[in-house]
Amino acid sequence: MAAKYVRKKTRKEKMINLLASLFVLVLAALVLLPIWWIFRSSLMSTATINEYPPSFIPHEWLWANYSKALETFEYWTYFKNTFTIIVPAVTFGTITAIFCGYAFARLRFRGKKIFFNICVGTILLPGMVTLIPLYVMWTKGFGLGDTYWPLILPFLTGGGFFNIFLIRQFLMTIPIELDEAAAIDGASRMRILWTILVPSIKPAIVVVAMMLFIQIWNDLLQQIIYINSMDKFTFAIALTNFTGSFGTNWPVALAATFMTILPGIFIYVLGQKSFVEGIVLTGMKN
Amino acid sequence: MQSTCSLRGSEMRRNKTTNNISRAGKKEERTAYLCLIPAFLGVSLISYVPTLAVFVLSFFDWNGLTTPKFIGFGNFERIFTKDIYLAESIKATILYAFLAVVGAVLYSLIIALLLNMEIKGRTLFRSIFFVPYLLPAIGVFKGWEWLYEGNFGLFNFVLRMVGISPQRFLDSPNQVIPSLVMIAIWTSGNLIVIFLAGLQNVPRVYLEAARIDGANAWQRFINVTIPSISPIIFYNVLTALITHLQVINPALALTDGGPGKKSMFMSYVIYLYGFQKNKMGYAAAYSVIFFLLVGVFTVILFTTQKNQVFGEGE
Repeated sequence: MAAKYVRKKTRKEKMINLLASLFVLVLAALVLLPIWWIFRSSLMSTATINEYPPSFIPHEWLWANYSKALETFEYWTYFKNTFTIIVPAVTFGTITAIFCGYAFARLRFRGKKIFFNICVGTILLPGMVTLIPLYVMWTKGFGLGDTYWPLILPFLTGGGFFNIFLIRQFLMTIPIELDEAAAIDGASRMRILWTILVPSIKPAIVVVAMMLFIQIWNDLLQQIIYINSMDKFTFAIALTNFTGSFGTNWPVALAATFMTILPGIFIYVLGQKSFVEGIVLTGMKN
Repeated sequence: MQSTCSLRGSEMRRNKTTNNISRAGKKEERTAYLCLIPAFLGVSLISYVPTLAVFVLSFFDWNGLTTPKFIGFGNFERIFTKDIYLAESIKATILYAFLAVVGAVLYSLIIALLLNMEIKGRTLFRSIFFVPYLLPAIGVFKGWEWLYEGNFGLFNFVLRMVGISPQRFLDSPNQVIPSLVMIAIWTSGNLIVIFLAGLQNVPRVYLEAARIDGANAWQRFINVTIPSISPIIFYNVLTALITHLQVINPALALTDGGPGKKSMFMSYVIYLYGFQKNKMGYAAAYSVIFFLLVGVFTVILFTTQKNQVFGEGE
């Protein structure tokens, strides 16, 4: 049936598509240019970086900048510290989001509508407002200052309602007959959830995990207020302090910068396919 | 055995005579409540309770160490009469949020429209425009600091090529906000993906019908595409607005609120009072004012559009 609506393209339309392709190509190059420029500058000397006209590709690739940066920028310490927060927060954030999303998508219970709306409300509450009370609670109340706990524990709540909502939307696209068939075979609800539903919403789960990942990675503010000891510094804190101390030695500062960007690129390449697919399939509406 | 087969919740239907719920229904309900414990804790302890607490705290004078002292509206009085940041911070926050929301939504809508056309290498392009969003923010800011550098940065190279004298960008009181907004637009790849999702749900039949009726590309866009994706536009504007009103990372990582308080965002002022000057009660009062400001903008946005994005529909 669908084939009926596919017409042959007119010449004019082909021209428009070609122009659009070229335009997109130029835009894509512009979007990537900053990343390339940071990388290219990190491989130059303090002299060549200031040359005019600038060269698009470095004359010689000074990898020494990277080892120079590593002398004071303790990359692997920050790496370990950052992932000490990210691994448990992303793992348990995703798991709890699955449980909550499942309850909203599949189970019936009293107060469902009210609770759902209360949860939606949290999306409208600016998190910044809760900064001071949460700080008081974690440090004065639980004595967890200068530890990673205040940065991890909030994520064990489904990692924010948006993620729960995403899982719910995805689960609702899976036919309930699948659950029913498994139930006839005697599978329990939890078994159905983890062996049948979870594998079929993999793109959504990748989306949630990556969103949590980037959210924690970017949360400079909370890392600054909770972490005081230098040996507990994360990438975000360390980079903020580091580049200032390097003054005008841009290549070395940019080498450190590029190294912190790198794990983000790596993880993106790994999950990219599921990620785009995941958000597109969600449709973002009921 | 029979009731377990029915997962549609028919077992939940109340028995009209006793108003009791059947055993299977009760079990389903118990599972639901167990599953929702994390959400309940999050909603209460991480969201609503601290939001209420900030109102309480705003009535106290407290340095975070000694016993808090109740001073009524004292903090608010000080903020509105003597505070050195209030006017500048409201101005900086609104200007930044306005430019960032408009810029990011327009940019991502245009990119999404282009990527929705039948062009070659769509999937590759899609991932390219999304990359900046997933880069660690502090690395992005530090990298852009170099691009904006006053003598030899990329932008000044480009300006020099077209014969314009070097600009100071982040060090210029007039250019700092637009410069930071540029970074925000560059990293708005998440909006592109959400727009793309919406565009793919625009019924092709409607577009075809409009074409047959003689509507040109622009008319089809205004009369078919835009109405179909209006809930998505609303969602993107809303979330971008709430995100950008809370802007703080550029001030923390790059500008320290400068030059000349021009990037002294409200979130950054809350941070300064709470954690640099240890005035917890005062910072809480500032948070309340910030909360009300965000609330006003959210309400305005909701009254302009009644589309329900997060409905509990089935």
